[in-house]
Amino acid sequence: MSGRFGLEAKGSEKKQVPVEEGLFTWPSEEPRLIGSRCNVCGEVTFPAQKVCPNCTSDNTEELLLSRRGTLYSFTIQRHRPPSPPYRGMDPFVPYGVGEVELPEGVIVTSALTESDPEALKIGMEMELLVEKFFEDDEGSDVVSYKFKPV
Amino acid sequence: MTEVAIIGVGMHKFGRFEGKEAFEMGRAAAVDALRDAGVDWKSIQAAFSGSVFGGPGDAIVQELGLTGIPVVNVSNACATGGSALTLGYQAVVGGFYDMVLAFGFEKMPRGFIAAAGPGHIPWAGLTGLLINPVYFAMKIKRHMAEYGTTEDQLVKVSVKSHKNGSLNPNAMYQKVMSYEEIANSAMLCDPLRLFELCAPNEGGTAAVLCSLDVARRYTTTPIIVAASAFKTRLYGTAEVPHLSRSGRIKAPTPVMEAAKLAYEQSGIGPEDLDVCELQDTHSGDEIMHCEEVGLCKPGEGGKLVDDGATEIAGRIPVNPSGGLISCGEALGASGLRQVHEIVLQLRGDAGSRQVEGAKVGLTQVYGAPGVSSVIILRR
Repeated sequence: MSGRFGLEAKGSEKKQVPVEEGLFTWPSEEPRLIGSRCNVCGEVTFPAQKVCPNCTSDNTEELLLSRRGTLYSFTIQRHRPPSPPYRGMDPFVPYGVGEVELPEGVIVTSALTESDPEALKIGMEMELLVEKFFEDDEGSDVVSYKFKPV
Repeated sequence: MTEVAIIGVGMHKFGRFEGKEAFEMGRAAAVDALRDAGVDWKSIQAAFSGSVFGGPGDAIVQELGLTGIPVVNVSNACATGGSALTLGYQAVVGGFYDMVLAFGFEKMPRGFIAAAGPGHIPWAGLTGLLINPVYFAMKIKRHMAEYGTTEDQLVKVSVKSHKNGSLNPNAMYQKVMSYEEIANSAMLCDPLRLFELCAPNEGGTAAVLCSLDVARRYTTTPIIVAASAFKTRLYGTAEVPHLSRSGRIKAPTPVMEAAKLAYEQSGIGPEDLDVCELQDTHSGDEIMHCEEVGLCKPGEGGKLVDDGATEIAGRIPVNPSGGLISCGEALGASGLRQVHEIVLQLRGDAGSRQVEGAKVGLTQVYGAPGVSSVIILRR
């Protein structure tokens, strides 16, 4: 970017918006995923659900999930997914996708910061972070959650 | 209970057919099935049509004849054709009709299926979490870690599929592929390589179903539908796709549930099967589905491959047609393509890919967001 607008942008904080409200606590120094726990059977779901998918009760409440868990499985997405809907960076950069098992008894699917399969191992400890995925039409950074190896 | 038989099957080759409408392929398959059964269109009392991208099924009646029959449209992802057949089967069992047509036809967009539109979660699509074949890849990756299934076994499945596909004139790819070609093809979604994945495509398939009493008027080799089961997911499984799953509860997969129901309906067990057509969206899927329909114990699917048990001449041949890997997956037509293959096998009409003496066969499809259909056929 160049010229007057570019210089202005350099000096000010760029606006960051979550990709969806209610997925994670934001803004936050230590963001957490927002799940739900069923008060009848105790099962935990992410994203939060009003009706429990296990026992069909509607007696559920929101629960902030732990920021750390272990890698249950993973893959590396090496080609650009069909766009739309995908809005990732251009040119495309391969990214990891994993399942992370959290102490609350739920396994969450997430993008990973790591895209080298040799650097990932099932069972390794992972930690949540929130970072930019793409820029929206208004020029704001759209952020969402990822897990990174600890 | 009324026994149901298939007296005719038809097919429009799977592949890519520029300028051809999906319903034309559906009609071609229907005409082929009617000819195979030796019945005319006027004998068909209802039709159950499966397509996801191909439009409404009653488009085929214009050039078959406007007989006023009900045509039910089914859209159930990869289980579409299996669902259409299940509805036709139930309609005959229930005594509503004596003779029905189940057919599937498809014309899919090129490339991986985009997870967009109704039923999809926008934010997950935007961030690249709802994509193929990520969930398939993570499932087989975990399977490899738990049971020691290897990349070598994934390659071997695809070698077998292409060998069988080379014998099938209806397959999209009728070419033998070497171990090296497959093992060196591009890694798309670890551990899955390009030539271990099926291609979305186009085609049509059809089957004429009737009560066994009626069937005997038309043929001396009716193929009996011993079971036709359809299930969706239970809580505690990991499906294509999922944003979370339970870490505490592990439930049987929809494939296991559909297979269990089909075995209950038929009184036939996995040990009685002579031939299977299983959903091999990728080569690892074939290994896991062998286990899920009970051809072997959990974790022993890779050993079946190493032992050559799933080859045409093996103990339990799987995908003699070449499977989805060779035929491609024309979504709405794919489940009935499996039925088409098993009917040929049980009649002894499968030519150079014939499984010797096959009397009982099983078909199985699986798709998003956790649906499966299992059909058992017998002579």
